[in-house]
Amino acid sequence: MFRLSLKMTLARKGRLLLTSLAIILGTSFLSGTTIFSDTINSTFDRLFTDVFRDVDAYVRSTDSVDTGFGEQRAPSPIEALDIILGVDGVSAAVGDMQSYARVVGKDGEPLGEDQGPPTFGGIASESVAGLWNVDSGRLPVGSGEVMLDRATAEAGKFVVGDKVRVNALSGSREFTLVGVANYGDISSPGGATFALFDQPTASEFLLKPGFVDAFLVQGDGTLSDEELAEAIDAALPKSAKLETLTGAEITEETTSQIKTVLGFFTAFLTAFSFIALGIGCFVIYNVFSITAAQRQRESALLRAIGASRRQVTISLLVEALIVGLLGSIIGFVSGIGLSRLLSALLNAVGLEIPTTGLTIATNAVTRIVLIGTIITVLSAILPALRSGRVPPLAAMRDTALDTVPKLGRRIVVGLILIALGAIGLLAALNGARVAILGLGVLGVFAGVLVIGPAISKPVAMLLGKPVAGLRGVTGSMSRQNAARNPKRTARTAAPVLIGVALVTAFTALAASVKNEIRETIGASFRGDFALSVNSRGFGGIPTSVTDKIKDLPEVDQATGVGFIAAKVGDESPFILVFDPKTAGGLYEFEMIEGAQTDLGDDEILVETDKAIEKNLVVGSSVQITLIDGSSKQLKVAGTYKNAYGNYAVSRELFADSTSPLFDSFVYIRVASGVDDDAAQKAISTVSSDLGIGTLESRDAYIDSQAAQVDQFLALIYGLLFLSVIIAIVGIIITLLLSVFERKREIGLLRAVGMTRSQVRMMVRWESVITSLFGAVTGVVLGILTGIVIVVSLNDAGFSAFTLPIANTVTILIGAFIIGVVAAVFPAWRATRTEIISAIASA
Amino acid sequence: MNQVPESKNVAARAESASKIYGSGENEVRALDNVTVSFERGKFSAIMGPSGSGKSTLMHSLAGLDALTSGKVFIGDVDLSTLNDKEITKLRREKVGFVFQSFNLIPTLDAYENITLPLSLGKRGGDEAWITKVIDTISLADRLEHRPSELSGGQQQRVAVARALATRPEIIFADEPTGNLDSKSGTDILTFMRRAVTELGQTIVMVTHDAVSASYADRIVFLSDGHVAGEMSNPSPEKVLEYLKHLGD
Repeated sequence: MFRLSLKMTLARKGRLLLTSLAIILGTSFLSGTTIFSDTINSTFDRLFTDVFRDVDAYVRSTDSVDTGFGEQRAPSPIEALDIILGVDGVSAAVGDMQSYARVVGKDGEPLGEDQGPPTFGGIASESVAGLWNVDSGRLPVGSGEVMLDRATAEAGKFVVGDKVRVNALSGSREFTLVGVANYGDISSPGGATFALFDQPTASEFLLKPGFVDAFLVQGDGTLSDEELAEAIDAALPKSAKLETLTGAEITEETTSQIKTVLGFFTAFLTAFSFIALGIGCFVIYNVFSITAAQRQRESALLRAIGASRRQVTISLLVEALIVGLLGSIIGFVSGIGLSRLLSALLNAVGLEIPTTGLTIATNAVTRIVLIGTIITVLSAILPALRSGRVPPLAAMRDTALDTVPKLGRRIVVGLILIALGAIGLLAALNGARVAILGLGVLGVFAGVLVIGPAISKPVAMLLGKPVAGLRGVTGSMSRQNAARNPKRTARTAAPVLIGVALVTAFTALAASVKNEIRETIGASFRGDFALSVNSRGFGGIPTSVTDKIKDLPEVDQATGVGFIAAKVGDESPFILVFDPKTAGGLYEFEMIEGAQTDLGDDEILVETDKAIEKNLVVGSSVQITLIDGSSKQLKVAGTYKNAYGNYAVSRELFADSTSPLFDSFVYIRVASGVDDDAAQKAISTVSSDLGIGTLESRDAYIDSQAAQVDQFLALIYGLLFLSVIIAIVGIIITLLLSVFERKREIGLLRAVGMTRSQVRMMVRWESVITSLFGAVTGVVLGILTGIVIVVSLNDAGFSAFTLPIANTVTILIGAFIIGVVAAVFPAWRATRTEIISAIASA
Repeated sequence: MNQVPESKNVAARAESASKIYGSGENEVRALDNVTVSFERGKFSAIMGPSGSGKSTLMHSLAGLDALTSGKVFIGDVDLSTLNDKEITKLRREKVGFVFQSFNLIPTLDAYENITLPLSLGKRGGDEAWITKVIDTISLADRLEHRPSELSGGQQQRVAVARALATRPEIIFADEPTGNLDSKSGTDILTFMRRAVTELGQTIVMVTHDAVSASYADRIVFLSDGHVAGEMSNPSPEKVLEYLKHLGD
């Protein structure tokens, strides 16, 4: 029987190809993302091993704040360097720094992306322990010289001798470029930019005079790395609060930190590749269902000549196994190309991730081929069982009109599944495990797919009504064809449905978030202009620049708002830092209790929900620890709502701290009698001319802040694009099989006078109606999901929900186009139907 | 051998029509230099054993299949001069079809099936004519039924009505009673006879059944791709007698 199945499978190459296509697409994305992340990981392994090649020990502060988005560590005093150099077994040691520094290009625009890899400032040293190798020129010496990494120098077209402007913690300055360097062997790690100075300049300009981030130490070979680290630790006084790691430890830690950050990204990609695979699943299931129905006669014949039910079922499963195996292998191989494409795509948007070579783990091959094959066989189980149930004397039936029995039961079961799924979603939003979220999503989708066949006929008939009206009998037949096989229509539309539901839900969510951003900013920001950088907690606008703007005669008042990591109680959030002296009338909290004015350096404001959660009232005491390890008891002076961050403190708090405090936003009110243009010009002399931040009018600023959500949305759209491709392929396959199945019907239509273009039109509109059915139900499901998420995330409840009308219309137009595109090939096939052989194939 | 009627009375004709399948040793001559014409307003039958070329002749005359050489005409139109679109239009307007089975579109009801060729051409039919046709097949009460809700005989009657709906130049019927019981078969043949006699239509029917053929005004016998003879005003007995000697 196995050999027979094998033979029958291989005999039908067309069917084999169609079924494999869905599996290939599904597995190739999974394989692409797997290979991509494996490659990145091994590249970083190699990179840091290489970079820390000559580092035997690493000395750093014991104080740090881990915000969950990477660790922030206190700086170390440079005096410790002499102690380290004095330790027996140390041959060289040097201060290291990775602080914020933004190199400004010759055109006045800062190099690097706001959203991209970090822009660093550091120390260039000739010590063998240093990370940098001079490529051309020499090391910088003194307060007027800078060295750049090769990639940045090339990007900015800087040559040795040029003037280079750099912005950092203590302001904006111009340096002379004296050298260009490589990081290990590469021009720049991960697309980051580097401005390098001698140690005193770096400390004073980037951080705080007399401090560095850490020390790199090289041994003289007499001690093992472990012994060296112990010796250094023993030599350092306890009061210095420093710790020593071996070279291997710091390599391992840096690599794993990078991997954690990349982990978010690859997990995101993997999630979307599983969505794509899940959508592929429906296509596979659909294809097997249709082909099982089409070879009913073949199955009946097998049964008649003595094959058991089990044998018939198994023969279809064997076919699934073969197809699954073949498809997964091809999918895996095409994933290699896809991973390259992914790298190219990320490079194109500025996220240069060094991917040298290609890492294909053997377990990745086995895993993906296994997943693909198992999914295929699972998708084929139901159709195979149905195939086995074909009675031996199955009549030679005409292609009958399908019916869906037990409509009521389907709807009830479907609604129950959706409700269970929704409960899972809500639980997940309230903090349950991610697995619950997955199950919730699964429940909702399963429910919709159970209901699908029950509603596909009436909905398709409704959607097809205008088509029938416009296109006469041809349109009427399209409409009937879309509705004649409710299960098939529902299954074919399922991928469109899922894709559209996800897009709609994300779009609705984004629209609501945008609205919230607008309201939050609109309520708190009262000025005329805003200067902003999107620094995500790393660097920003030097506070000295804020002060300069404030002092301009054209400016009435300016106030800066920044964010910094700190420990508050048992949490390590980013807290909001503002200047109570200048914020009045420019940056206003929506205070519930207390006031923001006169906030002292021993006081803190708490977001109202947070206050309730943490049992804090006005007058309560809160322990706060800054990055440099300094700790303070703060008194709650008030509570507020609707602002970024759950805690707000005064800028004064950081006066003596080594915590690098930047402003993310500077809000500006123009002096009376000065027109906006003049004011903008004046502010530009301190901001734009220095290449710091973006200066915008109040309205433009609010718009651009809200528009940041769009970037996130664009990424999601991009990833869902593959699902759309699979959905299109699914429609193409179904249409091809339907055209094949209705060969006689098409032959008859041609005989009685249907032209080829009418045949094409008939198939096209059937496709459009099917696609629109998926889109319309998807939009409804997506909006409902969006409402559930928004309402459960937001205190404002339903009013926070914004219906993205323009986007919904776009989605429906998109579905229309998908229908038209998917129909091209099947419609062409239909027009090629040979009339005589079609009629004769009775 | 053939008496060729005057051109204006001819609904369809073939001139030196040949159809060859395959080549070399596998060559099969389905039609071999056939010249035949079918008179307007008459009920003609094409008879012959399997493989005699009768279906090929009909398909060629109807513009469903192209000849290897020779010409076919519907009225005065030489089909070899038309492209696919023009032939399709000709089939829709000038030709009617009744096949042995699977004559109807399952998604359309009886009335929509009858008017299908008219709807495809986006032209209004002659309402009075269609009513007359529907009366003739006496299915006025089943017009809103789908094919699956009709019996085999009823389905064939709907098919005949569809063939008549455009008042075509000629109707081709390919074994129209082949799948029916004898009572339904008789009904269909009677309807076709009436369509010719009472409604003045032209029908060419392919059959291998002597009784069916006897409803025709004239029978053309085919054998091995050749016209083997013909008979006017046939009766079943005469046909059977003729067939006995056809092989001689």
